[in-house]
Amino acid sequence: MDELLVGIVNLSWKHVAMWVVAGILIYLAIRHDYEPLLLLPIGFGAILTNIPFSSAVGHEGFLTRLLEFGIYSELFPVLIFIAIGAMCDFSPLIRRPIAMLFGAAAQFGIFATIVIAAMLGFNLKQAAAIGIIGAADGPTTIYVATRFAQDLLGPLSVAAYSYMALVPIIQPPVIKLLTSKEERLIRMEYEEQEPVSKTTLVLFPIMITLIAGIIAPISVALIGSLMFGNLIKVSGVVERLSQSAQNELANLVTLLLGITIGSTMSAEKFLVVEVGIVLGLGLVAFIFDTAGGVLFAKAVNLVVKKKINPMIGACGISAFPMSGRVVAKMALAEDPTNFIIMHAIGVNVAGQVCSVVAGGVVLALVK
Amino acid sequence: MTDTVQQSLSLMAIALPAMFAVILLFMGATALLHKTFPAKEE
Repeated sequence: MDELLVGIVNLSWKHVAMWVVAGILIYLAIRHDYEPLLLLPIGFGAILTNIPFSSAVGHEGFLTRLLEFGIYSELFPVLIFIAIGAMCDFSPLIRRPIAMLFGAAAQFGIFATIVIAAMLGFNLKQAAAIGIIGAADGPTTIYVATRFAQDLLGPLSVAAYSYMALVPIIQPPVIKLLTSKEERLIRMEYEEQEPVSKTTLVLFPIMITLIAGIIAPISVALIGSLMFGNLIKVSGVVERLSQSAQNELANLVTLLLGITIGSTMSAEKFLVVEVGIVLGLGLVAFIFDTAGGVLFAKAVNLVVKKKINPMIGACGISAFPMSGRVVAKMALAEDPTNFIIMHAIGVNVAGQVCSVVAGGVVLALVK
Repeated sequence: MTDTVQQSLSLMAIALPAMFAVILLFMGATALLHKTFPAKEE
C-alpha cells in the first residue's frame, strides 16, 4: 500500500508550482502559438520530471539518459544546426554581404548582458551562458549552456525560446523609442540584384567553415554543422538528405530536445531566485540586441548618402523570419507603400550567421 | 569592481572587435566569391 501512496506523500508545493510553470508553457504553445515546437515538449518534460520518484528521470530514467546522450554530449544542438542549415537560403546574404555588419551589431546584447550578469554576481561562465540568450538562437544557447552552465540549462533554454516567440512584443517598443517617425519612413529602393551562381552557393558554406574554423577551432561544431546542412541543400545532388535534414531530422531532434530540456526543470533547480534573474536578463539581452542593431544603422546613416531605414538594424538577431517580418510590418504601418521586407529579411539571414559567430567567439574567449 | 566584472568588460572589449573582424572577413570573402563566379557564366 505504501508504494501506491509514495507519490502523494512526497508531493510538495514546489512540484505543484512547477506543474503550473509547465502548464503556462503548454498554454502559451497551444493557445498563443509561441514556439510550440519547443515550448510544448519542454512543458511536458517539466511535468514528467516534477512527479515525485518519477521513473522518467534519475539514474534509469529515459530523460536523464537522453540528457546525457543528447545534450551533455552536444549532439542534439549540433544535429539541429544541420537541420537549420538545410533550411537556410543564404542568397540574400551573398548578394548583400554588408547585411552581416547589422547582424554583428545586433549581437551587442550578448556582451552587454554578460557584463550585467557579472555585476549581479554570476561567475564569468554563467554570465557568458546567460548573455548568449541574446544570440536569439536556441541551439547556440543550449550548446554554450552545456559547456558553461549545465545547472542553468533549463531556464536558459526556456528564456531563449520564449523571448524568440515574443519578438513581436519586445522589439517594436525598443525600435520606436530609438527612432523618429522620419527615420521609420525612410524608403529603401529594391534594386534588381544579380542572381547567385550555384558555384558561389556551394563554395559559400565551405568557405565560411574554413575561415571560422581557422580563426576559432572551437566554433567548428556550431558553424560546421550549420554549413554542412546548407551544403547538402545547395549542392542539389543529395535532395533526399536535404529533405531528411529539413523534416525528419529537424522534427525528431526537436521533439527529443524539447522534452529533454524540460526534464532539467526540476523544482529544486528552477524555483530559485537565480532563475528569475536569468529570465530577466534574457529579456535585457533581447532589448540590447535590438538597440545595438538600430543604433548601428543610425550611425551608418551619418556617413552614407543613401539613407537606410534604421529599423532594419533590429533584424540582425537570429530570430528568423519573425524579426524581419516584424520590422517590415512596422514600416508598412508607418507608410503602407513602404516595402522594406527584402532588406529586412537579408539582415535577418545575416543575423543567423552572426549569432553563431558570436557564440563561437564567446566559446573561444571564455576559459 | 569585482574580478568577474573586470573580466566581463575585458571580454566585451575583445569579443566585439574580434566578432566584427571575423564578419568583415566573411563579407570580403563572400563579395569576392560572388564576383568570381557570376551567375550568367553558368
